[in-house]
Amino acid sequence: MTAERRIPDDWFPGVIPENVVLDPTAYLETTYSFQLFRSRHPTALAIGRGASIYLGVMFDLGCNAKVSIGDYVLMNGARIICDSEITIGDHCLISWNVVLMDTCRLPLDPRERRAELEQIPKRNPRQASAETPSQPIHIGPNVWIGFDSCVLPGVTIGRGAVVGARSVVTSDVPPFTVVAGNPARVIRQLLPNESAADTKTNWSNSPLET
Amino acid sequence: MEFWLSSSKNLPMANPDSKSTPLQNLGQWTHGELPANVCVGSNTLITAEYAFKRFKSREPAAIVLGAHCTMDGVHFAVGQKGRITIGDFCYFTNAVLLCEQELRFGNYVVIGWNTTIADSDFHPLSPAERIVDAVACSPLGQNTRRPSIACHPVVIEDDVWIGPNATILKGVTVGAGSWIEAGSLVTRDVPAGSRVLGNPAQIIGRANGKSEPLGLGS
Repeated sequence: MTAERRIPDDWFPGVIPENVVLDPTAYLETTYSFQLFRSRHPTALAIGRGASIYLGVMFDLGCNAKVSIGDYVLMNGARIICDSEITIGDHCLISWNVVLMDTCRLPLDPRERRAELEQIPKRNPRQASAETPSQPIHIGPNVWIGFDSCVLPGVTIGRGAVVGARSVVTSDVPPFTVVAGNPARVIRQLLPNESAADTKTNWSNSPLET
Repeated sequence: MEFWLSSSKNLPMANPDSKSTPLQNLGQWTHGELPANVCVGSNTLITAEYAFKRFKSREPAAIVLGAHCTMDGVHFAVGQKGRITIGDFCYFTNAVLLCEQELRFGNYVVIGWNTTIADSDFHPLSPAERIVDAVACSPLGQNTRRPSIACHPVVIEDDVWIGPNATILKGVTVGAGSWIEAGSLVTRDVPAGSRVLGNPAQIIGRANGKSEPLGLGS
């Protein structure tokens, strides 16, 4: 039996689950992130080279869930709700309070939802069953997701894209675009080799018209 | 920049050799002594243990707060060159103030629960620079410098009311007397006396003191 892995100076007295593959160069701030981790997949969670997973990131993984996080990914407090699969490419920047969900966890139909709600109090722990359909989320490399955003089930975000703060992403995002709003819409096109100078001259915040 | 990894033990202390008079703190923080470069007016109260957890400014007058203000649960997340100025009789609840350069608030400003006000985007927009930034922010990038980030000061004028869950992004000036509805995301300047709603925020009327209901379809 392998020894339990803990985090030195962790404020929460937890362990890293055995089926988490954690690159030695990655930073994981607290085992509290695994409080909702229920996956029994052999490689339920893979965290890449130089990645950093800060306090506030929660891995809410159902029993068959598989999440992979690329190299140098900066996750500053995102909530990952996964029953099937979520992949995050290299160099992604994911801000605080971001929700990445591949499932709604409860049925959309009111009658089915009632039936499920009547079953939940009979279970221990009191959780919805994983029978609601889930659709994987794929986030490409070099994607930046602004704070308070939501990425809904089945979305693919192309490489280099930017999701503005407080957006709700309901459909696929083309590579190298900036999307924002609820629902998120493309507001800008980026060039892969766009220089910082080009980006700055294109910004303005002219007053709202009355 | 050390990004999120430092603690409040690293707050800058006053230079004992400085010839200028130390800033006077007439107000109070419920969780200890205020950092030396924070100047708080009389009868102003700052609560919350985390108020200065991400405060890293080295400016001589990093935060200047007026009198009779209540900063209840406010995060002062200020970078090394950041400066925040707040007038008198302001009331902020659980606001996150992200300042890399400058945030300015007038008098009688009210900010509601879970609002975020930022004068920068924190990361570069250019995709190639973002890759450099991701590496610089990683545990393997401790000695690499982050790319420079565009900062544009935010100005909130007198008598502005900002509702819960609102967001004010970089470079915005909110004109005096405006009313920013809950959940708004403001990216552009707001003329004085406007009532603003939405993400992205749009003007929906005047802030004339009458509270009309915001029903669906109205």
